[in-house]
Amino acid sequence: MVARLLRLKIQLLFNTFRRSPWHLVGLLVGIVYGLSLSTLIVVSFVSLRLVPADLAAPIVIVFGSIITLGFLLVPLVSGVDDTLDPRKFALFSIPTSTLSWALAIASLVSIPSIVLLFLAAAQIVTWGRTPGAIAVALLSAALITVSCVLGARVSTSVAAFVLNSRRAREILGVIAVTAIVLLSPSFVLLLAVDWASDGLRILNVIAGVAAVTPFGAAWAAPAAAAMGDAGSAVTSLAIAAAYVALLAVGWRLLVGAMLTTPQRMVKVKRYGGLGWFGALPTTPTGVVLARSLTYWGRDARYRISLIVIPVVPVLVATPLLVGGVPMEIVALLPVPAMAMFLSWAIHNDVAFDSTAYWLHVASHVPGAADRLGRALPALALGVPLVVGGSVGAALLHGDVHVVWSIMGVSACVLLAGLGLSSITSARFPYPAAHPGDSPFAQPQAAGAASSLIQSFSFFAVLLLAVPAGVFATLGFLVDPSYHTVALVAGLLVGALVFITGILLGGRIVERRGPELLAFTLRN
Amino acid sequence: METEPNAPRPIRPAGVRTKSGTTTTSRAARPPRTKAESAHEGPAVLSIDGLVKRFGPKTAVAGIDLQVRAGSFFGIVGPNGAGKTTTLSMVTGLLRPDAGQVSVHGTDVWADPVTAKHHMGVLPDRLRLFDRLTGAQLLYYAGVLRGLDNATVRKRSSDLAVAFGLDEALHRLVADYSAGMTKKIALAAAMIHSPRLLVLDEPFESVDPVSAANITEILRKYTHAGGTVVLSSHSMDLVQRICDSVAVVVNGAILASGTIDEVRGNATLEERFVELVGGRREAEGMEWLHVFSD
Repeated sequence: MVARLLRLKIQLLFNTFRRSPWHLVGLLVGIVYGLSLSTLIVVSFVSLRLVPADLAAPIVIVFGSIITLGFLLVPLVSGVDDTLDPRKFALFSIPTSTLSWALAIASLVSIPSIVLLFLAAAQIVTWGRTPGAIAVALLSAALITVSCVLGARVSTSVAAFVLNSRRAREILGVIAVTAIVLLSPSFVLLLAVDWASDGLRILNVIAGVAAVTPFGAAWAAPAAAAMGDAGSAVTSLAIAAAYVALLAVGWRLLVGAMLTTPQRMVKVKRYGGLGWFGALPTTPTGVVLARSLTYWGRDARYRISLIVIPVVPVLVATPLLVGGVPMEIVALLPVPAMAMFLSWAIHNDVAFDSTAYWLHVASHVPGAADRLGRALPALALGVPLVVGGSVGAALLHGDVHVVWSIMGVSACVLLAGLGLSSITSARFPYPAAHPGDSPFAQPQAAGAASSLIQSFSFFAVLLLAVPAGVFATLGFLVDPSYHTVALVAGLLVGALVFITGILLGGRIVERRGPELLAFTLRN
Repeated sequence: METEPNAPRPIRPAGVRTKSGTTTTSRAARPPRTKAESAHEGPAVLSIDGLVKRFGPKTAVAGIDLQVRAGSFFGIVGPNGAGKTTTLSMVTGLLRPDAGQVSVHGTDVWADPVTAKHHMGVLPDRLRLFDRLTGAQLLYYAGVLRGLDNATVRKRSSDLAVAFGLDEALHRLVADYSAGMTKKIALAAAMIHSPRLLVLDEPFESVDPVSAANITEILRKYTHAGGTVVLSSHSMDLVQRICDSVAVVVNGAILASGTIDEVRGNATLEERFVELVGGRREAEGMEWLHVFSD
């Protein structure tokens, strides 16, 4: 059974290469990226052999803990496509224990697992300084591999089984983003640490904690052995072994439960009335707008782009403030940045519709109505954001006259961004997460082509904001009256690009409807 | 109801079309059934001429000609992968053909899509719906996109919900519907603007028998009132029972078309279909299935 499942998994791995050229390009980019990253880590681990043990230990333990923790947590949020879900084998009469063993071993055949094997081997090189340390490092390598692979198996199955309802997945996605939001200042603070003087001390503190957790123990044991601390090495090995045992028992129980539990029934929520549809005009633009607004509220993929908006100022401002840039200057940046992200939210909107887009093609929705209905929710959020944000930013800055400049540049970015997004989503759609999938499950094919389009439209928006920016600079340097000119320039350029984008995007949508639908069908 | 229209043919791109196969032309062989009468006499509401679609080296639709007259209940049958969905997608303006023409109520679908699409109600197979909307919202969306006003959409939505047995589900998300309910709400959305022509791809798949009987009844009344239904199906019994005309599509070409009676002759439609497709393969070497493993 083990051999058969291994063969199946190897076949599945090879089949990922037998897809369309764009898929292949995306996959290759991913592999090259992963390979170079893991080569870098392996080389670092090997070269750490030359570094004194007490210096190498915290580095290896902290990195190792992140890797082990990553194997456990990433499947929970990323919505990994589980090719070896135990339930797929429910109809074959395989004893549960055999199946759980075989599946666990078969999951060693995957690109992350292979990279992990190299890392586990590399840490043997790091610590193999004494015969005792070699023995402990060998044991640790086995424990690291098993705990990571089993951890990923367990959390993948938990994600697929316990969190299988649409709503549970969406809630989890929101929790994950909130966690990132809350943690982002601490990442920034970590960046602010003076690593040259304090770095090692802080790493040592983190490593000391990690070493007694199940995630760092297997990485810490050989380090302790290499430093001659046999007691700590044994304790760490015991913690790591207990973690593996716990995972193994958990996995066996999970497989048993999954094979005998029918799909969970989810309580269905009822909605009264027509919602936005009842409140907005009975025109094509009105209903497309109502549909967009409903999706902004109900669809996790849109909610993510909303949740990111308040994070932007934190991410932009904290490093600059920590770096010693004065508040007057830092205060100018967040509002245009938020406007940029907001206008960005709809730049791949047709791909978000997926094949449901057929309704627009079959009804031959007027192109401008389609474009405008999709852009208006972002505009409705953006106007109060730009106005209120500019006032707040001007107050923070200290000079109230600046409000017109901030408003002009931000409005220009917002309007021009929405105009460009209306064109790119019609002309250059790229694969997006399907409706109902995790918002983090970016399809692999999204690789090269999409990042080209994204960076192109990003720079185009920056370029279009130049006139408003020039007048704003004149306002600072020459005469404050230029600030009002910046507002006028920003609004003019923005409105022009917005209207052009809606009309041009609309024409593209009308002409290329079947091609857009064919695109959504391919993905 | 012929693949050989008597009307003069529009110009067709040369060298892209294979002649549709054996065509049943015994029009006078037996008196037409009453329900087929309108199908023979009405004007062609849908005419397909030399339709071709290739996907890479594979030709999915190899030159299809078809006339569907107003008031007929037209079935398109064929084995899996015969090109039924591809053909219907090109008819409804969802897939651009490589060659050929489609016109609906006298309007070319690909030259004047606005007018042509207005005459059509579409139920595609295996495409998503905007499933984060409730059933009521989806019907409203479809209705307004088709140009209906507020009062009409609301009235028709509630009528359709009652007729299709969806009134309990109207305020739930379409994402939470069963496969049959999803089919029914899509069907309701297809007919909300009372088009002249309904193009339905597998409308009865996973729909329960009671709902299927209701829908059949609704569609029958619609054709009696002059509407036209073109549907594709795998179920020969169903097509023989409810359609008045049929076309058999195999490998992207029409092998036979005409009224049900013309196509089936003295056999059932299923027997005739199996014969046209090339006969059943004898299931040999399956004796092991009769010895059970314990």
